[in-house]
Amino acid sequence: MSEPRDELAAVPDIITTDDGEDFSAFAVSRWPGLVRLAYGLTGDRWMAEDIAQTALARAYVAWRRVSRADDPDAYLRRILVNASNRRFRRRRVSEQSGDLPERAVEGPAELVSERAALLGALHQLPPRQRAVVVLRYWEDLTDAQIAATLGCSPGTVRSQLSRALAKLRVDPALGESDHA
Amino acid sequence: MTATEDRELRRAVHELLQDVPPSPAPVEEIVRRGKGIRLRRTWAVVGALGLAGIVAVTTLALAGGRHQASPATVPVGPVAPGGVFAQGVVDGHPWQLAVQDIADPGYLCQPAIVLNGTDADPVFPDPGNLAAVALSPSLPGIGFGFIQVPAAVSQVIVNGQANAQVVTVAACGFRYHVAGFAYSLAQAVRITVANPPPGWPTVLTLPQVSGRLPYGPSMQQTAGLWVNAYAAGAEEEPGTLDSQAVIGPDWIIQIQFGTGGDCYAFSATGSAGTNHMGACGPVSTPTGPETIMALPLASPSDPATGLTGYAVQVSPATFGLQATLSNGSSELATPCVVDGRVYAVLVVRAPVRLSRLTWLNAAGRVIASTTALPQYGYVQFQP
Repeated sequence: MSEPRDELAAVPDIITTDDGEDFSAFAVSRWPGLVRLAYGLTGDRWMAEDIAQTALARAYVAWRRVSRADDPDAYLRRILVNASNRRFRRRRVSEQSGDLPERAVEGPAELVSERAALLGALHQLPPRQRAVVVLRYWEDLTDAQIAATLGCSPGTVRSQLSRALAKLRVDPALGESDHA
Repeated sequence: MTATEDRELRRAVHELLQDVPPSPAPVEEIVRRGKGIRLRRTWAVVGALGLAGIVAVTTLALAGGRHQASPATVPVGPVAPGGVFAQGVVDGHPWQLAVQDIADPGYLCQPAIVLNGTDADPVFPDPGNLAAVALSPSLPGIGFGFIQVPAAVSQVIVNGQANAQVVTVAACGFRYHVAGFAYSLAQAVRITVANPPPGWPTVLTLPQVSGRLPYGPSMQQTAGLWVNAYAAGAEEEPGTLDSQAVIGPDWIIQIQFGTGGDCYAFSATGSAGTNHMGACGPVSTPTGPETIMALPLASPSDPATGLTGYAVQVSPATFGLQATLSNGSSELATPCVVDGRVYAVLVVRAPVRLSRLTWLNAAGRVIASTTALPQYGYVQFQP
């Protein structure tokens, strides 16, 4: 998959005041969704916000083109998933990093248990399988849209999803909380 | 997956993510980062055009005997991706300081400052840490330093000349506000903190490191080993993270991993009693070179009683560290885990010497091998 930075670096963008106002409105409207998508990919609140910032900062750099794209959200999603994957490769995130404070899930005890179980199960999946699950069940994207986001074929998406669901189905924590 | 399972999973994922309450969109921060990206691209173009000029200038400075290492020459954003908080080029060599997780895969996150992805200085979120390192002989005469400051500090001034930008980086779920820079080892470094908070000194002096060669038993050996100091009013070093006896009972080697480096405490009991000693070496990162420490347990110069320990922080892929000895025999050291890092230790009794170390994976295949072994102190080896 090509890196968004290379795509964005191709043409210089000049942001005018009007563009800046447009971008601010765009960033404010997309921020919650991006953070939630990133949280699904990382399971870490702070990292999710950092990755969402990275995605929007890259969109800012290429704002003239992003704002005129047919589907700016698809562009943004792709940047965000790439940023998330790069972060995982760099950090070599350990299976025990669930001890981090950001991973805590807040709410009533029963919901906390269910959500923590799902978060833990998602975290056990390899990054690409996790991305497929989150893009399918949170963003409600089709195979073709997920493939475009991840830079792979729809067939790969289907096989990755199949493997991910097989793992989730036998996850003991999810079984206890009656999910999936 | 059945339709019911599909529905249930969709519901569960929506419940999980819908309830995540994001903070307000930090638009100013995002725009600053965007401008930082654009600035870095500009620098990349300038760098491609002007690298030859930079090299020429630094070469001239060296030839003149007044080596001036430049501080961070390339600005990074106020909140840096990938943990990078300072970078630049000195003597034609690019350098980069970052906060990264240095725990081996599968173990609890361990944040550390790393120089060019290699030698690490474990860090804690509390501000106040001030540290320096040299990388002789690969970068003679050059030191690298960083300071951890409170969030309110945005800038520090190095030797009254150049500003080092304070950058916020994250690792292992914590934020660090750090400024990094390169400098010439020929001069003392004074750091001025702009608008310091109460209890903070305005001027700090960087701890001295030495990059002298050759190393000897009486000469300080600091290449790759961070030297830490603490600003007044800051919290003290939290201390040893863990220790574990790895060899016994007539001799014992303990590893104490912390901000002092990979520090080994070792002792051996002989007819004259028990000798207690210690030595510290650089902290290796998972992707960086491995540090081979020689530990003189008992008079290594005496061929009759000499006993030398060798300790190596190895990658998790290492199943065994095979020692080939000068008498033709070999020994296999099985790695043990201390605080999420994997070490292998072996002991060689004089007059036998260690001739070669070989890294083996679980299938018994050779990962790496070296004959460049220290008689005292340490050497670093990239498998």
